[in-house]
Order: sequence, then structure tokens, then C-alpha cells
Amino acid sequence: MYTANNPLSQSLASRQPHYSAVRKSGSFSGPPRIRTPILNDAIIHSGPGSTSAGTGAEGLGEEDPRYAQFRDRYAQSEARLFALCRGETVVSKKRSADEMEGSLPNGQNGHAEASSRPAKKAARTIDEDDYGDDEEDEEGESIKKSPLSPLHTKGKLPNNVFHGFGSPMVRVASSSSAAAEQAVQDQSKLQDELRKRLEQDKKKAEEAAKRSCFTLYYTLETDRDAMLEQQKLDELDRQIEKEMSGQQAGAGASGDNAAHQGGSLSSSNLGASSLTLKHLIKRIDAKRGIVRANDAQLRTLINEVRKNRSKWANEDKVGQEELYEAAERVLIELKAQTEHAAPFLQRVNKRDAPDYYNIIKTPMDVGTMLKKLKQLQYKSKKEFVDDLYLIWSNCLKYNQDPNHFLRKKATYMRKQTDNLVRLIPDITIRDRAEVEAEERRQQNGDVDIDGVEDSDDEEPIMASRGRKAPSKGKKGSTAARKAPPGGSEETPATETKPSVPPTLKNEFLRADSDAPVENGFTTPPPGTLTPLGPHGVTGSQVDGSDADGGASSFNDVQTGHIDDADIDDAEYKTWKQVTKKARALAAAERNRLFRGNEINPEEPALLRSRAGMRRWLRGRKIASQEGEPTDLSVQAEAKESTPGMSGETLAEGIEEEEELALPDYYDVVSAIPDLDDRLKWEVDADGQVVDQAEECLRVVPPGTFTAPESALTKKMDANMKQIQDTRRVCAKIGIVKQMQQQAQIYQNQFQKYDPIPFREADIGTHVVSDDGPVMSPEVCRAAMQRSVAKIFFHAGFEDYQPSALDAVTDLAGDYFKNLVKTLNVYKETPQVKVPAPAGSESELIAQPRFTDEEILLHTLDVNGMDVGQLDTYAKDEMERLGVKLGVSHERMKAHLAELLRPAIDPTHGPDGAGAFNDGSEQFVGGDFAEDIGEDFFGFKELGLDREFGLSTLSVPLHLLSSRLHQGYQSQNATTTPMTGETLPQPDAFKPITAENITDEIGLIHGFFQDKLRANGNQSLIEDDDLPPKQRFPKPRLPPTGKITSPRKRPIREQQQLAKKKRKLEEGKDDAGGGAGAQPSTNGITKTANKVAGRMQLKMPEPKEPAVDSAHDDGSVMGMMSPESM
Amino acid sequence: MADKNPKYKSEIQQMMFVSGETGEASVETTSLIELIVQQQVMEILKECTALATRRGSRSISTDDLMMLIRHDRAKLSRLRHFLQWKDVRKNVKESSDDKGPDAEIAAAEEGPAPGMNGPPDLKKTNKKARVDLAWDVPSYFSEFVPARDDEDDEEEEEQNSATLQRLKNADERTKHMSREDYMHWSECRQASFTWRKGKRFREWAGFGGITDTKPNDDIIDILGFLTFEIVQTLTEEALVVKKIEDAYKKKTGSETQGQKRKREPGLFDLAEEEKEPVQPSHIREAFRRLQKSNNKSKAMLNFTNHVHRAALRLI
Repeated sequence: MYTANNPLSQSLASRQPHYSAVRKSGSFSGPPRIRTPILNDAIIHSGPGSTSAGTGAEGLGEEDPRYAQFRDRYAQSEARLFALCRGETVVSKKRSADEMEGSLPNGQNGHAEASSRPAKKAARTIDEDDYGDDEEDEEGESIKKSPLSPLHTKGKLPNNVFHGFGSPMVRVASSSSAAAEQAVQDQSKLQDELRKRLEQDKKKAEEAAKRSCFTLYYTLETDRDAMLEQQKLDELDRQIEKEMSGQQAGAGASGDNAAHQGGSLSSSNLGASSLTLKHLIKRIDAKRGIVRANDAQLRTLINEVRKNRSKWANEDKVGQEELYEAAERVLIELKAQTEHAAPFLQRVNKRDAPDYYNIIKTPMDVGTMLKKLKQLQYKSKKEFVDDLYLIWSNCLKYNQDPNHFLRKKATYMRKQTDNLVRLIPDITIRDRAEVEAEERRQQNGDVDIDGVEDSDDEEPIMASRGRKAPSKGKKGSTAARKAPPGGSEETPATETKPSVPPTLKNEFLRADSDAPVENGFTTPPPGTLTPLGPHGVTGSQVDGSDADGGASSFNDVQTGHIDDADIDDAEYKTWKQVTKKARALAAAERNRLFRGNEINPEEPALLRSRAGMRRWLRGRKIASQEGEPTDLSVQAEAKESTPGMSGETLAEGIEEEEELALPDYYDVVSAIPDLDDRLKWEVDADGQVVDQAEECLRVVPPGTFTAPESALTKKMDANMKQIQDTRRVCAKIGIVKQMQQQAQIYQNQFQKYDPIPFREADIGTHVVSDDGPVMSPEVCRAAMQRSVAKIFFHAGFEDYQPSALDAVTDLAGDYFKNLVKTLNVYKETPQVKVPAPAGSESELIAQPRFTDEEILLHTLDVNGMDVGQLDTYAKDEMERLGVKLGVSHERMKAHLAELLRPAIDPTHGPDGAGAFNDGSEQFVGGDFAEDIGEDFFGFKELGLDREFGLSTLSVPLHLLSSRLHQGYQSQNATTTPMTGETLPQPDAFKPITAENITDEIGLIHGFFQDKLRANGNQSLIEDDDLPPKQRFPKPRLPPTGKITSPRKRPIREQQQLAKKKRKLEEGKDDAGGGAGAQPSTNGITKTANKVAGRMQLKMPEPKEPAVDSAHDDGSVMGMMSPESM
Repeated sequence: MADKNPKYKSEIQQMMFVSGETGEASVETTSLIELIVQQQVMEILKECTALATRRGSRSISTDDLMMLIRHDRAKLSRLRHFLQWKDVRKNVKESSDDKGPDAEIAAAEEGPAPGMNGPPDLKKTNKKARVDLAWDVPSYFSEFVPARDDEDDEEEEEQNSATLQRLKNADERTKHMSREDYMHWSECRQASFTWRKGKRFREWAGFGGITDTKPNDDIIDILGFLTFEIVQTLTEEALVVKKIEDAYKKKTGSETQGQKRKREPGLFDLAEEEKEPVQPSHIREAFRRLQKSNNKSKAMLNFTNHVHRAALRLI
């Protein structure tokens, strides 16, 4: 950090006193107070020069425009700073801007305002108001004024207090030289503050970058680069390590002489720990009087207590730890700018650039710097910084072409360096002994202004006083003397500057810087410093290597622009830097899994770890909180809540800390899918596992696999039922017809047609755990098949080949698939822009290409359907079919009734209902028809039960069948006599009994008597009245006119038997006839006998013919029984 | 196969006249139509034979024919109507021979056409035999039961509605006819490919080659009916085409005979006969339109790479 090089800083220095108070009372235990000699020189040098306010005013008057510019820059950077530090963005910006404006035209007013403001505030807090003060002071406020300001008075008081404590610094500051001294201190302190603030900023930016992981998705494309870079860096480190290993021993040797020196702890070198322990140290400082231990004791104590003692720490080298810490950090930072830093990491290879070493006399690279750092070669910030700038300037020098790509990188890196260098405390390492010696000397009180001037060369003195001399910027003046020793061989500033290609900037700057100070040209390095050096953030962004007097201002402008240009990318850049190492590791990890382009099977499997998952979860939680309004408090909460969460398992938490900040998606293995709360494994109070599965389980609603209720399906079902009913009637008709044809029927002859009404079976209770439709192709197919079968049935098929059903089901499935696909095609048609309706703000609105209705119609059309066809189908195939079926059913029923009528109607058929009734009564108990079914013939439907007053409708089947058969026969036979209407029915023959046998002709008395005897004197039954099975088949005359018996064997036997008998009888007859009977009668008798005998042969009873022929030989003719007719 | 000489020129001209073509169609037109009709008939016979074979029968039946035109409801219902009346005519012929068969045929073909009210009294006496489709409701059941008289036949209405439109068209065409013209027109209605030309038709349609059975009377009659329908449909469609073409020509005004016809139709212009008859090109276009396959026939080919190869469509 370079302080002002010009009158401004001088004036600043000259009126610093009123800040000294602040400085002293300031609780910030800044970096060690040890100063490099150079810086001290600078201060002291500039101090005297600027003691008179006049010069400052002069300079101010001369350079008004530039000041204005500075201020502008300053205001901006200030505002940014505040915004970051305090979170009050707009307000502070405005305010500072206001101040600027106010101060420009009217310095007095501005000062008054500014000076009054600090009064309200605690003096120790350094805030923007102080800066405002500073600035106004710089503008040429006289020293006289500042003592009047409250600040000044306040400043004095603490001064005294500190005196009491005997702090060396304070003691030193008592005289008039104290003004300069304090100015220096103050400034350094401010710088310190600034540095801290910058660090904070940086940290914040990094934080933000880390957090952005949750809100932004960064692509992985840079990972490979990161990995390669990282490898290179590691390589570099290793190399350096190797090179250094030999020299290591000597490094710490120099720091052996430990001489202790009193002083406030806060100002002592406690290295990095001073930050962590700052409150303790402050406290101790405040109560120094009470603490009964000398400084050395305290220091050792603290040194022992503090942790994280860095590798740079060295008790004997004051300031080394801090300087090196910071320097190393800067180097690492720079290294991390992978895409830009790459060319500068290693020494330029002669092969790459043969003439390089001709042009560049003092090569430098980051690797070398690291080496030097490790070898503890740097004695001061300046040396380090000079080296750093040397790299960039070398590059710029070697690559003269303004378009060279390396130039761009170099400039970029230089800019980065500008930013980073400010973070390095301005420290010159000195031996402790030296420091203490000096402090002792100062305690003696022989310091005055001259002394200060003298102390140009007396580094110890300065070191003890100013922790951070603003003198960095003052290099200019000192450069002539000091740079050569300090910068050693490199001497970049002086050497390179002239050789730097004269860019526009430089020319401009030079012209500018000519005016301000004489050292503008002669001492280019000082130019790096803005007048506002200590406070101005921007001021310190100056590039040391190529800047002269005015470079700073221009640079500022430039950087400002660049910043603006880069602002959108800044976050990404930060992110890349922050996560670079982690990403590199991750990429390397990933890389290891592959061999060539294939996955390496030898590699161990990726395993999920608890820690990983927990981290993932935590990231999730933070992210979700990020998502909410980004209140600072919320974020804070988020941060706080995370430890609490990870606190569950401390061990894991610690592990997490080591983890690198990387977005979730780098650790895919650890990702936890979004699980429903229901799936959590939870245990209730009794230790029982809470069964949360029940909540997520869902019973498939009934009806998923059945046809939905609709008018159409209802109609269809009705139709099918109708068809079934009609079929049943049909079956009866069939049976009846069969009965008519067949004399004999058997109960099992007819299959019962008793269809079960259709009912679509649903699937059983089924439980699923998701919300979607049930995906079960087999069941769906079965359901489809059933639907197809229904339609088949509806179309009149009674049963189907399974293969046919399958084929049609497949076809239907394909068709429906096509339908749905088409629907989808139309649904996914890109949206079209249409003019928005009036009143909406946008002119065009996107809306789907088709409305739902259009989609449906299109789909139907493409698949060869339209609404009309569907309508026709519903009308024709369903409704009209229903009507037709109804008609058909009625017709069938009527037909059946007609068919049954001859059997049940007494007027039809010769036997009539009487016989039917008699018969049925006989067989009522039999219930033969029960098997076929109640109301088998639809009697009930026909109202027969009422008609006949039947108690039961069980009709013996054979009875019915015989009636039907006979009825059919009689109807179809042309024999009219059988129908009772044409002629009156003759009286039934009286059954022959033993009593009325005498009424018969005498000739057949014997025959009847025989029969009666055989029948046990019961009345004889007519053949027609016999039960059908015992009935004799009626003899029929075949068309040939010859009577042949249908019966085979038994009858033939009988015939043969009869023939023999007949021959015998004929023989007898002939004999007898010849003897007694007349020839005429004989002939008649003969033929009659023949006929009768043959006819009687058909009788089943074998006896009868024999009897007949035997006993009633001659009377056969007269005995013609009705049954033989 | 029949030779290329046109055989039905006058019949086709008559049919076209009935269908609304007032001019005298050229021989080219009629022979083109004849070819088309011939192709259609052959296709019908081929399909029918295939159907009959599948059924296991060697001879084609009316059911096969009806099956072929099952999708054209109007035509199907007219065909049934026709068959019913044919039945009626047969019965009438048996009972009374005093009526001329020609009138019967006309009645049978066109239903109760205006000016032909002969059949109604017969209809009452002779109950029309129902012509059932093979796939209609009665086929559902194993027992056939004759219809009863009291059942109202609602198919009648459907048939009537189909016929009514046709009659309306005929009425439209004959509205402005003189008596002689009408007589001529009604004579033309009796034109047939088959009537009293059974042998010629059989040869022409290639019965020997396509189906080897001797077709029964019904088949020939149905084919006669269908051929009439084909010619009529073709002519009507061709007329539509011609009308569109004329309208287009009139709009563009670039017709060649425009000079001749430029003047407004005057008082002494000859009537419609003067108009150009349909040209073969119109018939071709009409045939193309009628052959255009609908989406239904290729629905199952959607989302596949198959090309739809349509068979000849029956007009």
C-alpha cells in the first residue's frame, strides 16, 4: 500500500495529530508496529516537506481537477466499501457522495460538517466519517483548524492516558514531532483497517460465491482445466520444496537473538494470532497497569497459548510471520487465477523463447517467488511486491505487441496484484534485538523533529513508531536510495519502468505527473500512490511497476471501468477461484475412475458416506433458506442453524469442516433423493416403528377395470340380457320342436340353456403405493379382451375362438394406441402467437394451436372416425338393435306359446287336456321337470297356472312330450278323423270286465275270458290307453302294400312258429273243412284267418296268437279287436 | 373376357339421362363408363367368390353381394327394397299375369315412383317378404321364427328415407319436362344391363372366368341394380365435376369456346340439350374422386411406415 507521494500526503502527514488520538485509543491491535526502514524514511522525508500548510494548499490549487477525480474515485470505492462492510448500501453511498460534493466547492463547510460529526461518535471507532474528515483535511485544511476540531481534542486525551501506561509509542509522540509521528501511525492504522476490510470483503465475496452454489448452477466445463492447473501447481510446489530442502536449515538461523522489549502487546508481533486474540490483548493493554508481568512474559505466554502458529512464525524475526503469511496468501491467490496465471508460474523456458533472456535481464516468476518466500529471502513488503510486479512488467516488456494475448493476461494479473497487494501488511522484517534496542532508545526521549528527520536512516526508530508507515507510497523519494538495496537485484521499479512499452496510459500519466512533484519522473514507483493513499481504496490499486506520478488516477479510472465491465462475471470468477482446489480434487477423483475412455473396473466402488449425505442435506437446507428473501438475518440464521444440525454428531461435523466448498452436484453419490416424509423410518415413544406406509398406500378404486357406467354400456348390457332371454326362449322352442319330431325323449337329451347374466368382475382389492394408474398390462389386456368379447356377444356371436378374440383384441389395442398417439401429436403441437385480446399489455400471446375440441375431432378424423359415425353407431347398433331384439323376443315367445298350445289346449288333439290332467295328477309327485327348471316351458308366463288352477307347475316331461308329439303328429298328419271337430268323437269303448263280457259276441267270449283270467279279473285296458312304453307299435301298411314287420328276431320266430302252427291248422282245417264246413265260408275264413293271424303276430304277447290260433280258429274274423285296426 | 366393343352404349346413355345428364354423351364417354362398370362388376364378382369360398360354398349368394355393399347404408337399403319388390313381383306374376312385367320392374327398381302407382294394391294383398341381412338380429338365434304381422317394421322408414332423397332428385330433374320428355325419361329408367340380356351380361361380366357357377336370377338382378347405381353415381359425380369446371372457366374467362357463348342466354337459345355433355375427362375425375380412400381404411397404418395400397373401391 502506497501512501501519497505528493503534497496531499504531506499535508496529511502534517495535520495528522488529531488522528493520533484515534490511533492510540484505537483498540484495533493492528499488525505489528514494526516498520521497514524504507517506509519510515518515506514518512520522515515527506513529513518535513509538508509541514507548511502552504505547500499543501499550493499543490491543491494546482491540481484541482485531479483531486476532483481522485475524490470521485474515492467516493465510489468508499461507497462500495461501506456497502460491503456495513450493509448500508445506498445511504452511505449517498452520504459520501454528498460529502464529496460539499467538500469540493467549499472545503470549509465540509470540514466543519465533518469535524462536528465525529464528535457524536465514539472516537475509537473509525468509520466513514473519519475518512470524510481525512479527505477534507487533505484538501488543504490548515493544521490550525484541526486542533480545534473535536477529534483533535479527543485525540489528545488518550494521548495522555497512554503516557501513563508507558507505552513507548505514546511517549515518543509527545513532542511536536509527535504530529508527524502520529500521522504516520494513524495512517498506518487506517491502512491496517483498510486491509482488514478488504480481507473481509474478500471473505464475504467468497462466502457469497459459496452460497451461490445453491442458487446457481455452474457448469463443470472448467473442472478439467482446474484439475490440470492444480496438478501444475502441485508440481510447482513439489519442485520448490525439493529445491529448497537443502537450504531450509539456514532459514530460521537468523532469528536466534531474542531480545525482549517492552511495549503494548497489541503492537507486539504476535503474528496472525493477534487477530484471534485481539480482544484479550486489548484487554490486557487496557489494564496494563494491573497485570504484573512484563511484556516479554506476556508475549511468550501468548505465543505459547495461541494456536495456528504459522510456519513463518519466528520469535526473533519481527514481522516475518505476518508478512509472509500475507505474501504467501497473495501468491496463492494469484496462482489460483488459473487461466491468467498459467504462463507466469514457471521460469520462462529458453526453448520457448530463445531471446527471452537477452531482453529480460531479471526474470521472475511465481514459482521462483514461492521459493524465495520459503527461503525467507524477502525482508519487506516492498521486495516482495517489486518481485511481483517484475513478473508482469517482464511480460509486458518482452511481448511488445499490444495485441499479444500474454499482455492481456499480464495486465489482468497486474490488476489482481494491485488488489491483493493491499492485503499485505507493510512490514519490514527486522531482528527483534534491533527493534528492542531502538525502542529502548526512544524511551530515552531524544526524539524531536530533527530526530525524525534523522531517523531517515534509523530504521529502528521508525519501526517502533509506525506500524505501517505510509511510506510505501513514498518509495519515490526513497527509491533512489533504498530501492537498490531493498529490491536487490530485481530493482524492478526503476529498471523496468522506462522499458515498459509506453502505453497511452503511461504517457498520459507522465504528463500528468510532471506537474505535481519533482519526483514524478525520477521516482516512478511513488507514482503508484494516490494522494488519498491511506484511506482511498482505489488509491492503493495502483500498479507499482509501470506507474509514475499520475498513474494511480488513471489506473483507477481504468480499473473502475474494467470492474464495471466485469461485474457480471465477477461472481463466477470468484466462485471459480474459491472452489478451484475443491473442483480440481473432485475432477481428479472422477478422472481416476476412468482408464482411457472407459470405466476402470479396478477402481473401488463409489460409496455413500454418512458425512457426505449429511453435508448434502445441510447444503439443501441452506439452499432452501437462501431461496427465501435474502435477509441478512435469515442468512445468519441459516448459518447458525447449520451447526446445530450437524451438531447431532460432532465427529461428522468436524469432518465436514474439512470438506471443501463445492456444490451438491459434485458429490452425486451423496445425494439423497427427495423422499416423502411418509417413507421416513420413525420410531414412536415406545420404540415401535411407526408404520407410515399405510398413509401412502392406496386402494385401487373399484371400477378401474370394468366398463364405466354410461348410457351406452347400460344399453349394451340391456341388449345382451335381452339376447340371453331370447336365446332361452329359443332353446325351449328347440326342445319343443324336438319333442314333436321324436316319440321318445330323455331327460338328459336336452342341454339346459340357462345363461348366467353377465357381470363384469372387477379386480380384487388391490393396494398400490403410488398415485398413477395401475400399470398391469396383463390385466388391462384381459379387461380389453372382455370388452371385445362383450361387443362380440352383442353382435350376435354366442361363443368365440380364443384366437379370434386375441386377434381382435390386438387390433383394438393397436387402434386405441394410434388414437392416443394422434391425440398426443395434436396436443404437443407448438403454440402459436395470436393477437392478444384488447386490454392485455402484450400484443401477442402464445396459445395452444388447437383447442381440446379440435384436437379430438382431428384425432377422430385422422383415424377414420367422426362424430356422426359414432352417433350412428350408438343409435343403430345400440338403440335400434335393442328395439329389434325386443321385437324378436316377443316374437319368439309368441311362437313358443303357439307351439305349446296343441298340448295344453283341450280343443286340440284327440286326447285333450283331460288325459293330460289325469296323467299329470298321477305324476305330480315325480317332479320330473324339476331338473330342467322351474317354469321350464314358460307356463307361468303364459298364465297356465291360473288357467288350469294347477298347484304346481311341475309337469312330467314325458307326459308333455307325448302330448306335444301326438299333437304335432296329429296336426301334421292329414288324417282328419283324428281331429275331433269334424266328426263327433265316438264313445269310448267300455272296458271289458267279467261282468259285461256277456255283451260281447259269443265267439270271443272265450278269448276275453282268457284275457280276464290272465289279468286277474280286472278290467281290460285298451291298447291306446296303455302307458306309451307298453304300447304296441301301430301296424302300418307300407307303400308296397306288403306288410312287413319292423321287428326282427322275436317276431320272425313268432312268425315261423305261427307258420308251423298255421300249416298244422290249415292241414286240420282242410281236413275239418273237407269234412264239415262249407267251401265258401272256408275260403273266407281262410283269408281272414291269414290276415288276422299275421296281424296278431305283431303283438308283443307271444301267447296270444297261439291262443288265438289254437282256440279261436274259426272266429278270428269276428273278433277283430280295435287295437288291430 | 369380353371384347372391347362397347355393348351398352344406349343403356348407359339412358341411365345417364336419368341421372341428370341432359346432353347426348359421346361414345367415348359411354365406353369409358362401360369399362368402369365392367371393372366394378368384375371386382364385385371376385370379392363375392372369395367370400363364398370362405364360407365354404362354391356359388355366390345374395348375402355375399349385400355383404360387399354393407357400408353403403343407403344403397343397401335400396337393394333390400329392390329385392322385396322383386319378391312381390314374383308373387304377383304367379297370382295374376295380367300386368306387364316392365311396369313391375320399374316399380321394383325405383319404388313407388311418381306416376307409377300400380303396385300399392298388390302390396296390400301380397305381404312383402322381408329381406333380412345375414348378420341381422334373427341370425343371433338358433331358431328362426317368422315375423308376425302386427310387428311394425321400422326399417321401412329407413328405406323410405333413403329412397325419398332419390325420388326427390328424380322429381327435381323431371320438374320442367314436357309430357313427351317425361315419357322418354320414364322409359329410360328401365334401362338395365341385365334385363333380357342375361347372356350378354354374363359374357360381358366374365362370369365364366371369375366365378364358374351359373349365377341365379337374383344375383343377376342385383348386379343389374348395382350397375345402374354405379352409372348413376358416376354420372352425378361427373356432373358435379363439370359444374365446378364450368364455374372455374367462367371465372377465369379463358375458355376456348368462350367466344361462341359470350352472349347472354337469349330467348331463342336452345334448351339444355345444347349444353355440352360430360366428357370422358369428367368421368375420369369423378372416378378418381370416388376412388379416393378415406381415413378409415388407413387408420391402422398411422404411425407405421407402411404405404396404404387401396384395392379398387366399389362405387
